[in-house]
Amino acid sequence: MNEARVIKPEQLFPAVPESIFLFRSCTGSMEYPGTENAIKEIMAKLGIEVVMDPDQTCCSGYLLTCSVYKPEFSLAVTARNLAIVEQKKLDTYMFCNGCYGYNRELAHIMNHNPAYMKMANNVIARQGYKYEGKTKIYHVQELWYRLIDEIAARVVVPLTGLRVGIHYGCHYLAAQYNILDDGGYPTFHEEIIEALGGVPVFYKERQLCCGYAVGRGFTHREETVQPHLYKKFRSAKAAGVEIMTTVCPGCNVALDREQPNLARRYGVEFNIPIIDLSQLIGIAMGVPLKKLGFEANSVPLDGVLDKLGIDRREQGE
Amino acid sequence: MNGSKTALVIGGGIAGIEGAIKIAQAGYPVVIVEKQSRLGGVVAQLYGSFPRWEDPRVLLQHKIEQVEKSDRITVLTGMTVKTAVKEDGFFTVDLQATGGAGEKQVKAGAVVLATGFEMFDASVYGEYGYGIYPNVINSLEFEARLREWNSGRMEPAVPQSIAFIKCVGSRDRSKGLPYCSKICCMYTAKQAGIFKDMFPNAQAYVFYMDYRAAGKEYEEFTRSVIETKHVRYVRGRPSKVLPENGRLIIRAEDTLMGVPVEVETDMVVLAAAIVPSRGTAELARLFGISTDQYGFLESESFNPGKGGERVFFAGACGFAVETQGAQYQGAAAAAQAVALFNQT
Amino acid sequence: MPREKYRDKVEGLFKKADMYNLVENLETCLACGKCVGNCPVASLNPSYNPRQIISDVLNGEAQRWLQSEEIWRCFWCAGCYTVCPNDIHFPLLMMQLRYLAAENNYGVKYIMPFKRFALRAIEDGLTFAPGEKGRQKIMRYRSNIGAAPWPEISEKAIAEYKELSDLTGATEHLQNITDEDEKPVEFKYLEGRITGE
Repeated sequence: MNEARVIKPEQLFPAVPESIFLFRSCTGSMEYPGTENAIKEIMAKLGIEVVMDPDQTCCSGYLLTCSVYKPEFSLAVTARNLAIVEQKKLDTYMFCNGCYGYNRELAHIMNHNPAYMKMANNVIARQGYKYEGKTKIYHVQELWYRLIDEIAARVVVPLTGLRVGIHYGCHYLAAQYNILDDGGYPTFHEEIIEALGGVPVFYKERQLCCGYAVGRGFTHREETVQPHLYKKFRSAKAAGVEIMTTVCPGCNVALDREQPNLARRYGVEFNIPIIDLSQLIGIAMGVPLKKLGFEANSVPLDGVLDKLGIDRREQGE
Repeated sequence: MNGSKTALVIGGGIAGIEGAIKIAQAGYPVVIVEKQSRLGGVVAQLYGSFPRWEDPRVLLQHKIEQVEKSDRITVLTGMTVKTAVKEDGFFTVDLQATGGAGEKQVKAGAVVLATGFEMFDASVYGEYGYGIYPNVINSLEFEARLREWNSGRMEPAVPQSIAFIKCVGSRDRSKGLPYCSKICCMYTAKQAGIFKDMFPNAQAYVFYMDYRAAGKEYEEFTRSVIETKHVRYVRGRPSKVLPENGRLIIRAEDTLMGVPVEVETDMVVLAAAIVPSRGTAELARLFGISTDQYGFLESESFNPGKGGERVFFAGACGFAVETQGAQYQGAAAAAQAVALFNQT
Repeated sequence: MPREKYRDKVEGLFKKADMYNLVENLETCLACGKCVGNCPVASLNPSYNPRQIISDVLNGEAQRWLQSEEIWRCFWCAGCYTVCPNDIHFPLLMMQLRYLAAENNYGVKYIMPFKRFALRAIEDGLTFAPGEKGRQKIMRYRSNIGAAPWPEISEKAIAEYKELSDLTGATEHLQNITDEDEKPVEFKYLEGRITGE
């Protein structure tokens, strides 16, 4: 067994925090608002306070890597957002791989290049902020992993026999400055699925990215994104994946919204619902469906909910 | 006897054995301490050798017979060094049995460290799946498989295709080991060649970044593996090992063609980096030898193989070295110990 | 296509390409190809080859990659960086290569859609806020799950986001992006590297 993965979760996180700062994701709050809701519901059940702040802005990373923003701006935005968290003396938890990857990357640049740290601080000082590089940046998935026993103990709808394909997303895996999971062979997500009673499916292309990052979904949809996703879904379908979970609303957009297009182009209906891991944990922990917002999904969850014996009407959907 | 002209050799691999034999031949008593239950070290685990396809067991047998015949060599197997104290320039070394009761004391006027190497833990590379897929093994484990196949044990099934991956850990700054482990190119060629000899219908691929064959007959050896044993050499460091339909898919770039390739295999052999064996750092501290940033022993200026006053070393604890090189170094360390004894 | 002789070496091109000093260690490239083997784009378009692009940048072969279609295909998945034995941050190089290409009026068509998004984003403090129709749908979905109808972002946040954009020159940079003088890009690596004079 990989040494990196026999480190006990307790050692990865010194302690389960009493409060976390949850970083709002633009895509998450607009495309799939159920994700943020699910996280709040689960945290409430686990007794962890979720702090958010309306003063936090977009992380700006997406447009930076789409070549329209310049690094000076994104460094300043990152410094400003993280300064807000630092004032609260909390660590930052992201539920979007974009926010996670860009914040980690840009914070890393500032923390290792004093000139950039100074530049960013000079700009945000005008607005009364100061970033010191103290807040640590984690992904919510990493906290779920830390809480795996507590979550397992509260499962009321076990996902018995549900074959779940996992999509990690590259900005989670490639954030390799002290990433807690093993970036080359990640297993946190699979272990959580097992704890929920489901069957994680290790399909061949599980580490393939969603293809939508840096705007290629807009510029090269037909040339690269669709054949790329076709490859991923074929591999997932062949392995018997019934539902796919992600840890990034951006990946959700690519994998969910693109399926009808793939069906038109390739004549194959994959019909694999795409939801966030937090939403699936929500289902298993008995969060009412209405609060999980599956209305926003392009590929409906009907088959999966039937299999789990969940009555949609009963739950107010 | 105060032990002023007794040599203590720590490590009973090929370097230590060679050193002990030479010191004994010069007329001085030698004690070999070996933590395993028998002499031989890594060479005892090998099947085949380069560059002449000889059987390393024949060499080892020959050397061990010399040790056994010599009445000046005492072999203490199953023991490790506990402490060492230096008094008036001489060492009093306390030994203890490996994982059991039993202690011994040796007084020595010279110490030769020959603690050898071990393989870097390849599970650090999640992308190669060592420790996850049972058919992803390291090179030393593969030597054992070659022995099993040679002895007729064909379970589990013999792979129809093997990919050998070089530079696993070596030449990888991100894993903290920027150095070239030096011997992997040669032993990988040997392993692939032997496999093809055993199973001519099977396929063998070697993924390499550079192949380094600097040594007498080394280039000819490697070429013969490619040309007469038909091992395919693909230039490119693989990026990923993926399971599919019970086989393993290697993803890499064939950098000479400039195209990404996928190769289906049944087994992946990782030529993991050579790192100093566990315990080398502690021994270096006990005997006052400095180490480099990776833990390999360092020589004094202008004196290769001399780690300090009355302390010498040989073999892979200094840096990765092939069998023959380890023998050279063992003999050189012996020469230094003998010269010292002759002076006083 | 003439035989390449690296004669049109651009002095200091690497420094120019890495204009923000974010990569710095390009010369440590071992040309091992691990990046390419892990690249989802290379597996679809083998002419996109991070290793070759690094080599070209180091050799000062500027024109080919500036004019290439290839550099616009990268997903920024960082699969190359994850496996790189020397931690070469190729995605950050790619980001800067695209700046340089666009400065020279190549590939602007691949930036223009985001100019529109970005101009909106600095007014909203959020990326991807849609037009009125999309806005209604989002508010309906959010209300249905019991959340505030619109993502809770303060006026202060929006104003300060815009101010940062102005202060760092991002607003001006954005407004200056134009495809008026756009030059075409094409596949530049398909031909093979040596074709005879």
